[in-house]
Amino acid sequence: MTATNISASPRPPAARKSPKPAAPREPGRDGALLRRLTDPLGALLVVVALAALWEGYKAFGRAVDDRFLGLGLPVATDDLSMPHLWTIVGSLAAPARAGDSTSLAVYLIGETTVTLREALYGLGAGSLLGLVLAVLFVHVAPLNRGLMPWLVASQTVPLVAIAPMIVIWGGKAGLPPWAGVTGIAAYLAFFPVTVNSLRGLKSPPTVQLDFMRSVGAGQLRVLWSLRFPAALPYVFAGLRLAATASVVGAIVGELSAGTGRGIGRAILTSAYYYSNGPEKLYAAVLVAAIAGILFVQVLALLERFALRHRHAR
Amino acid sequence: MAEPAIISVRGVDKVFNGGSDRAVTALQDIDLTIGRGEFISLLGPSGCGKSTLLRVMADLTAPTGGTVTVNGKTPGAARAARDYGMVFQQAGLFEWRSVLRNVELPLQVAGAKKDVHRAKALEMLELVRLSEFAGHYPWQLSGGMQQRVAIARALSADPEILFMDEPLGALDEMNRERLQGELLRIWGDTRTTVVFVTHSISEAVFLSSRVVVMSARPGRIAASIDVDLPYPRTAETRTTPEFFEKVTEVRKALHGAPSEQAAA
Ligand SMILES: Nc1ncnc2c1ncn2[C@@H]1O[C@H](COP(=O)(O)OP(=O)(O)O)[C@@H](O)[C@H]1O
Ligand SMILES: [Mg+2]
Repeated sequence: MTATNISASPRPPAARKSPKPAAPREPGRDGALLRRLTDPLGALLVVVALAALWEGYKAFGRAVDDRFLGLGLPVATDDLSMPHLWTIVGSLAAPARAGDSTSLAVYLIGETTVTLREALYGLGAGSLLGLVLAVLFVHVAPLNRGLMPWLVASQTVPLVAIAPMIVIWGGKAGLPPWAGVTGIAAYLAFFPVTVNSLRGLKSPPTVQLDFMRSVGAGQLRVLWSLRFPAALPYVFAGLRLAATASVVGAIVGELSAGTGRGIGRAILTSAYYYSNGPEKLYAAVLVAAIAGILFVQVLALLERFALRHRHAR
Repeated sequence: MAEPAIISVRGVDKVFNGGSDRAVTALQDIDLTIGRGEFISLLGPSGCGKSTLLRVMADLTAPTGGTVTVNGKTPGAARAARDYGMVFQQAGLFEWRSVLRNVELPLQVAGAKKDVHRAKALEMLELVRLSEFAGHYPWQLSGGMQQRVAIARALSADPEILFMDEPLGALDEMNRERLQGELLRIWGDTRTTVVFVTHSISEAVFLSSRVVVMSARPGRIAASIDVDLPYPRTAETRTTPEFFEKVTEVRKALHGAPSEQAAA
């Protein structure tokens, strides 16, 4: 995992650029409504397109005998390599293990909950660390210059190398395995939050900083009443990246941890027994993906609420 | 002047980037006394140091030399005591706060109780005639309305002095003249001392009880001209011969400033 795309752009601060004419109460309402309608529709379209692609490739590939224009197709289309979508979805309803009454879906959702909890704790801890670092950096410039290169470097170390280390250290310190996994999630989550929050805390224009000074505001007041609220859209942009990273971190962390729980473990197990039921691996991946999307969506909802009064929604 | 001084500037210099080859003498040996209740304009060409002088009085910039007294205190103490309010060329309102909460901000910083600052902020919005926009957000207002909110915000903590740095500079001519009238009414209602930076001669003459003309490179005070046109001043005032005479007198002082002669 490398530190690419760490700095996401929040909505542009359009409000302070050009004064608008006296506006009606809620301009942009139509736009928001349209987006709310098209959002799920667009998502559905993408899902349908992906499904069509999967099944199309499978059907088409077999029709041309796994060759196309004289080239071998990159993935075989037999049921072992690419189970039918309905087989995958159907397997969710079947028992997770022979002689067990719980369905695969219930089992996978249970494991996912474990993973999401680790990711959430990691996101919380990582974001807090990220915010604290950003606040320190904005007030102590030498600290920023001195420490930032190390933070960047920390994100370029391969996760697969770091993960077992963190888990082992956690174990030596007497912490339960999930703590190590949470630590890995936090390790991935803090960086985008630091970078974006720092940009946000520095975003207030001179006129706003001068104004705060003119009313006798101290550093703490400036931080609380100006820098934090100005940074909020940037912080959320960082959180969105951090949320994704924390889920990835938790899943990869589980592979190194001896927890025996979590969707990462479930994926590993079903990969191990792949030939017994290939559809189980795909089902696990499917559930993990959906969970990740939901995790980020919850955050997006929070963001929409927190920034509801701002321009250019 | 008859009134006791509220601001006194003695021998103030300001050099930016001093010691380096990019040193700029923005202010040189400035002496200025401003009486309580005056409406003073600092007038001069762009870059002559008007903003710098205002910022020195407001303790937003430290002078290189000289002394400044504001309301009997150092500028820093006056700033901490919220003895002045300030309006800038950009309104600089906080876009995440409603109009009302923007106006409340100085009172919040001052530690006032919530019901107190709510009432006071509403009173200020009434003063700038924006009561019905209390719940709006800055981006929903025109530039002129935003600037009126900035004025209400600057006055909400009951300062004795109002510093304004080209507050109407970004507005179109019509809005500008309307707000000039509003500003005089507000000045009359609140009896604050106003120090107003502008580079418009007619604006300075229309508003001020006294125009302080500055010259550039180095920034100095070239003239101080009393404007004895009676208040209240209205749109009519702009058409009187006395107004034109004053404008001409100020223009002459401005063009007679040393740097302008050298440039011509
Ligand atoms: N922060 C600064 N650093 C360096 N030079 C400055 C700074 N602020 C103003 N100056 C210079 O000081 C001079 C006076 O500037 P200013 O007070 O802004 O003029 P005015 O407001 O009359 O247009 C200008 O030459 C300007 O370039
Ligand atoms: Mg200026």
